[in-house]
Amino acid sequence: MAPIELLIELTLMPLIAFIVGMMMVLMMRRIAARIQRRIGPPFFQPLYDIIKLHGKRTQVSHGLIHDIGIVMAMGGYIAAETLLPVPGMNGIAEKGGLITLLYLMMIPSLGLALGVGQCANPNGSIGIARALTAMLAYDIPLVIVIFGVAYAAGTTNLVEIIATQQAGGFATWGVVEMPLLAIAGLIAMHASLGKQPFEIYIAPAEIATGPMVEMSGKYLGGLFVMQCFQLYTTSVLYVSLFLGGGTTWFDFLIKSFLVLAIPVSIAYLFPRYRTEDLLRLMWKWPVMLGLIGLAFVM
Amino acid sequence: MSRLQKIPVVEEKKGNPLARVFDDLVRFCRSRSLFILHYCTGCGAIELPPAMTSRFDMERLGIQPMVSPRQADILLITGYVSIKTLKRVILTYEQMGSPKYVVGICSCTVNGGMYWQSYATAKKLDEYMPVDLYIAGCMPRPEAVISGLQKLMDRINSGEADSWQDYYRNYDYYLGNQQKLFGEDWQTPTDIITEAKHYELMGEGTLGQHTRLLEQHQKPLEALEMRLGHNIKEPVE
Ligand code: SF4
Repeated sequence: MAPIELLIELTLMPLIAFIVGMMMVLMMRRIAARIQRRIGPPFFQPLYDIIKLHGKRTQVSHGLIHDIGIVMAMGGYIAAETLLPVPGMNGIAEKGGLITLLYLMMIPSLGLALGVGQCANPNGSIGIARALTAMLAYDIPLVIVIFGVAYAAGTTNLVEIIATQQAGGFATWGVVEMPLLAIAGLIAMHASLGKQPFEIYIAPAEIATGPMVEMSGKYLGGLFVMQCFQLYTTSVLYVSLFLGGGTTWFDFLIKSFLVLAIPVSIAYLFPRYRTEDLLRLMWKWPVMLGLIGLAFVM
Repeated sequence: MSRLQKIPVVEEKKGNPLARVFDDLVRFCRSRSLFILHYCTGCGAIELPPAMTSRFDMERLGIQPMVSPRQADILLITGYVSIKTLKRVILTYEQMGSPKYVVGICSCTVNGGMYWQSYATAKKLDEYMPVDLYIAGCMPRPEAVISGLQKLMDRINSGEADSWQDYYRNYDYYLGNQQKLFGEDWQTPTDIITEAKHYELMGEGTLGQHTRLLEQHQKPLEALEMRLGHNIKEPVE
């Protein structure tokens, strides 16, 4: 591929991810509103929020690590987008593979931990401790699921995994071939989004939004942008692994929005678990399902 | 003549047209995305849940609750402020990122309301911090709260709601009133004068006799010592 073409793809993919991600945030808030019988925010609300936060006069920085932490939080996802194939664009997905992607998806949490650490706010520290514990909880089923899919496909190349599923049609989709892994993956994905009942590290009523408590202005704005990327990355990864990716933008977007709608609509019906409950739940059910699914695949 | 007087005087806009468009955009976004920090002091707070939840749904206007002063744009004071509470309100206000707006809900914030004769409440909120909007009533209904907030949105959009600058320009006045209530050695962790210099908002009223008094009593701020729970001294029996 020509370097110019690659460069264009590498710019376009995060950009598209951001726009789609903002629409996913909007969908999430609209679903929450509908469940609570409200109308919900207007269409451009996520954009208004982000522009406003970046346009504030006061920008309180707590130091260099604080700045770098936010950049890491966003940058980890931006790098992850270039490894996620979308219809018509593969970026560097063929060279990266699933394992690199998995690593890149952990960077934001670590960056956040660094940044929040410098704020020296006890609520933030508790929040980040919980976030890392939650990562420990959902990463084990996630790794089992991704290993299972890669083992069944015989490759960690996401482009090939998608191509095989698309060539074989619906019967070869991951969700049909490996239903147990798909269910385990859905639960792990839900936990990785950090929504209720797994919302242990935001918890506004208890630890005042945890990691976000000292963030203001563009730092909070950066976290809002990160959330757009997070929703996009998780749902597109799931679509690529289990739902055959997308042949056209139309079915790609429909699939990824639908996949995201499942955890989001569950989320606003439930209160929240405690940290140890989350750990117990995550290490029991999705891990068990995942291991049985793995046994079927092998 | 009378018709001539009604001709609006449009201020000629100067500067880079692109920057002006950008400023307009930011102002518009500011007005459409308001994070409120509801400091629920008095009884008026009871009208906020209905204003936020399904009956009146503030989120459709882009207003949503936030939990820490750093994240918030609006400080919502809902009812009487006792003198003890007022200290916390001022600390909270000074920590918020500008542009910030204060909305006083309830008659008690306007003039003391039915607590006028109480020795323990601060009567007029705008003696201690600049208030952008009052919503009077004992207590105002959610419709009133929402229509008030809409008015605030219009004012932000047109650039009129800039009373946060007033706190920097007339700091001496506000500090004086605070000192009257809390004593001469009243000091907050936020250094308003340095902030005013940073934002280039030094006005005639920034410095004065009260800030001089503050300088005399000012103690340098120290970071809190980090301790684990069991290190805290047990009370001596
Ligand atoms: S105005 Fe009335 S409702 Fe509001 S705080 Fe005062 S007494 Fe309570």
